[in-house]
Amino acid sequence: MEEELINIKNSAISLILDASDLKELEEIMLLFLGKSGKLTLAIKELPKLPIEKRVEVGSLANEVKKTIENELNQKKEELTIHKKETKKKTIDITNPGVLPPLGHLHLITQAIEEITEVFEKISFTKVRYPEVEWDWYAFEALNFPENHPARDDWETFFIKSDIASKKGPMILTPHTSSGQIREMERLNGKPPIRMLNIAKCYRRQSDVSHTPMFHQFEGLVVDENIAITHLKGTLDYFVKSYFGEERKARIRPYHFQFTEPSFEVDVSCGVCNGKGCRLCKEGWLEMGGAGMVHPNVLKAGGIDTKKYTGFAFGWGVERVLMMKEGIQIDDLRILYSNKLEFLEQF
Amino acid sequence: MNIKIVDSWLREYLKTKASCETIAEKLSLSSVSVEKIEKVHGDLIYDIEVTSNRVDLMSVIGIAREAAASLTQSGIPAEFISSNPNPKTKSKENLPFKIENDPKLVNRVITVLMEVKIGDSPKFIKERIEESGIRSLNNLIDVTNYVMRETGHPVHVFDFDRLNLEKMIIREAKKNEKIITLDEKMHVLEGGDIVADNGKGQIIDLLGVMGTANSVVTDKTRKILLFLDNNDPNRIRKTSMKHEIRSEAAIINEKGVDPELAKQALMRGIELYEQVAKGKVISEILDIYPNKPKRKSIIVSKEKIDAFIGVEVPLKTSVEILEKLGFRTATKGNLLEAEVPSPRLCDVLIEEDLIEEIARIYGYQRLPSILPPLNSAKNYHIGNNEFYWEQRIKNALKYWGFTECYTYSMISEDLFEGPTSDAVEIKNPLSKDMVYLRKTLIPSLLEVVKENKGRDELKIFEVANIYEKKTGELPKERRMIAGVIKKTNVSFFEAKGIVEQLFKDTGLKKIKFKNSEYGGVGSSVYIDESYLGEVELLESNLVNFEFNLEKIIKNSSLNKKYKKLAKYPPVIEDLAIIAREEIKTAEIIDEIYMQSDLIKEVSLLDQFKETRTFHIVYQSENNNLTTNETAKIREKILSSLQVKFDARLKK
Repeated sequence: MEEELINIKNSAISLILDASDLKELEEIMLLFLGKSGKLTLAIKELPKLPIEKRVEVGSLANEVKKTIENELNQKKEELTIHKKETKKKTIDITNPGVLPPLGHLHLITQAIEEITEVFEKISFTKVRYPEVEWDWYAFEALNFPENHPARDDWETFFIKSDIASKKGPMILTPHTSSGQIREMERLNGKPPIRMLNIAKCYRRQSDVSHTPMFHQFEGLVVDENIAITHLKGTLDYFVKSYFGEERKARIRPYHFQFTEPSFEVDVSCGVCNGKGCRLCKEGWLEMGGAGMVHPNVLKAGGIDTKKYTGFAFGWGVERVLMMKEGIQIDDLRILYSNKLEFLEQF
Repeated sequence: MNIKIVDSWLREYLKTKASCETIAEKLSLSSVSVEKIEKVHGDLIYDIEVTSNRVDLMSVIGIAREAAASLTQSGIPAEFISSNPNPKTKSKENLPFKIENDPKLVNRVITVLMEVKIGDSPKFIKERIEESGIRSLNNLIDVTNYVMRETGHPVHVFDFDRLNLEKMIIREAKKNEKIITLDEKMHVLEGGDIVADNGKGQIIDLLGVMGTANSVVTDKTRKILLFLDNNDPNRIRKTSMKHEIRSEAAIINEKGVDPELAKQALMRGIELYEQVAKGKVISEILDIYPNKPKRKSIIVSKEKIDAFIGVEVPLKTSVEILEKLGFRTATKGNLLEAEVPSPRLCDVLIEEDLIEEIARIYGYQRLPSILPPLNSAKNYHIGNNEFYWEQRIKNALKYWGFTECYTYSMISEDLFEGPTSDAVEIKNPLSKDMVYLRKTLIPSLLEVVKENKGRDELKIFEVANIYEKKTGELPKERRMIAGVIKKTNVSFFEAKGIVEQLFKDTGLKKIKFKNSEYGGVGSSVYIDESYLGEVELLESNLVNFEFNLEKIIKNSSLNKKYKKLAKYPPVIEDLAIIAREEIKTAEIIDEIYMQSDLIKEVSLLDQFKETRTFHIVYQSENNNLTTNETAKIREKILSSLQVKFDARLKK
């Protein structure tokens, strides 16, 4: 008997839950609670039970009845509301949504974030070093001869200050390479080093392709047996990750004071796919410089040149940004003009 | 520096069947970058970028030698043809004057006197130098330019009869000496420039940079002094930059020319004058050459070459490459010794320089790409990474509707707050707008507001360094975050709210807003007792904030604490309190909190004049709060506010 009551309850509930309109619900009600409904009939059987079981089963029967009634009521309510809703008039879903606030990060920030992610994936550590630097870090320790043009005041900004006896005059750093020596010092001349230094740099020029303040990112890897092939590997990884799988990279001989050999790095043009067009040189775009760290630089940073070699690269954030498809800005100065009309495009 | 090289001229020194395009490609990949190839008069011209360390490649001969090496390594037959100029005329006559040289200024002077006939240059000279980007004037001048382009050594020619020579004194210019260069421009010298004096105090040449008008050849010239000088590059650069005379001779000389080239260049000059100007040598060749460059050899092992390049290069290949580039080599076991040719003495100094020569001609494109192996890595803690926090904060502002700006670190005197004696100042600024390094970001952001004056509403921010002057050491650079909101009737609390949420998101605790130290409608913000920054209402439509980002980051935390969810529901009520307006909301809130541990939250709902409505949440962890219990606490609150602030409940 108890089992039968439980079965009645379960089958009633499952039918109620599946009911899709009020008419069906009415039928279910009659099926279980009507004059000859299943539960009604079962209750009629109660007096046939032995006395000692009657109270117990009776209260179970009551509970089942209550449950079924509750479920019926609830479902009835649900179906009624649903019916009303479907009657509501339709809305124009092409009207604008209610917008949460959304500002814009500067293009340079976005580029820096992307570059950082790419290099952190291969275990480079991001660092930051001073913008106002000693000549020592920016030039002297990087193997620049005393009379190198970059050290004269046509190209580099000098700060009005006393000249330090060892570290020379104070300047605005013209490249992130000054971070190379800082990083070697930070690690007490103990490789492995995998540095990514991204910072503001300053040079005395301002025209459509130069701004007096700009950004560079510098990579430095120093370890045992680092070779030119490792520089090529890192470069290819960056170019394909940042610009896209179809872009290619190559290195050509170049000259920098702080690397030997030095390279100019080219990336295949994204517009013509390396075929050659108006925007590139025979299918290639120059990205920037790289090279094997000059032994004099390693020595200045306290690194044992018998044991370790390294490579470094320093590229313009603005430059790589503009080499991406779709961002050919004709006058770089607009980046720092802070016209909202420009900033809000990105 | 760029140089134009004429193809037919190049092929006088380079024997190969390679096409012009192939030559250009091989040069670009392993030597100098050929930026374009132009067609002129049936000839082809390579436009080549030469790096400053390879001034030896500012010449047809230099490029020919490089091309021969690159082509050969690529499997394309090519030979460099060396030249040996052979003048027909000679003389044993002494030069009719003496030269007094200063070896500090000039390391080699080589000169000869000739009789010549001025006229037009023949077609091949005229076309070749014009195609190389040099103006053709007459045969006497054209030959100097022709020889310079061919050999890479600048050449000068004087009209001997105009020199009025007693003896030639090569000396430093004195300050304020005046000269007129051959382009008829007057220059007042700074002193220290290299000049030639005719022994009567008259300057007859600005050596290595440009000739002077008083000694240049004219159409009456009959006797010339062919003159090659090898100068101190630093003095040449100073003079050339200072007076903005960027002649090709100056551009070459300031990089340091191989003095060994001078003799060959002089001989080639004589030969050409004989051919094109009826030239005849009428004096001995005078060669003053105090310091000949020392020969130098470098030894490198095959192991080092292979380890540095990353692939195995047969020693035989290395030898072939170096020989083609003009090195003399010898091998012993796995050791390679190379004697550096004179034009490369300033540039090839150490093992790595030699390996570069081998690697580039071998071909960088032949090397595989391999990521550097990772043997170990430092432990990484995201919560301690300043860059993580900076990016997170920038993103928060972005999603609250702010647009990020990048303004220049250098500002004008007008934008600098406070006395400029406190400023980090640029000695050689580009303009008056960029003289000082800023010590606050706000003025720059207000400039951005001005720049966008068409906008009635805007929200902008910037993260950048400020610079604090220190004596005897580098300025203290401090990373700041600043923002400006422009909006009609903007409230101080709009900026304060941004700041409060920012602190909440970064996990900053114990923040205090105090009345601004600078007066005005604003607040100075502290963490513990340490100053963090400022929120300030500037005008009825402008409010700003600026904070020490480094301090925010230092105090920020990713640590989280789990608290069990409440078992019993809270009781919530709003109390309208009448209190004098000068009583601070924060003080009332603190006072309410102090009345019972069961008060979980107090906040200001709204304020109208003296009436402030507080939203109070009571909750117990142990039971359902009864009306009786909350009534008791409410009584306590009201009486304490009454005693402390003379405040009462609004009925």
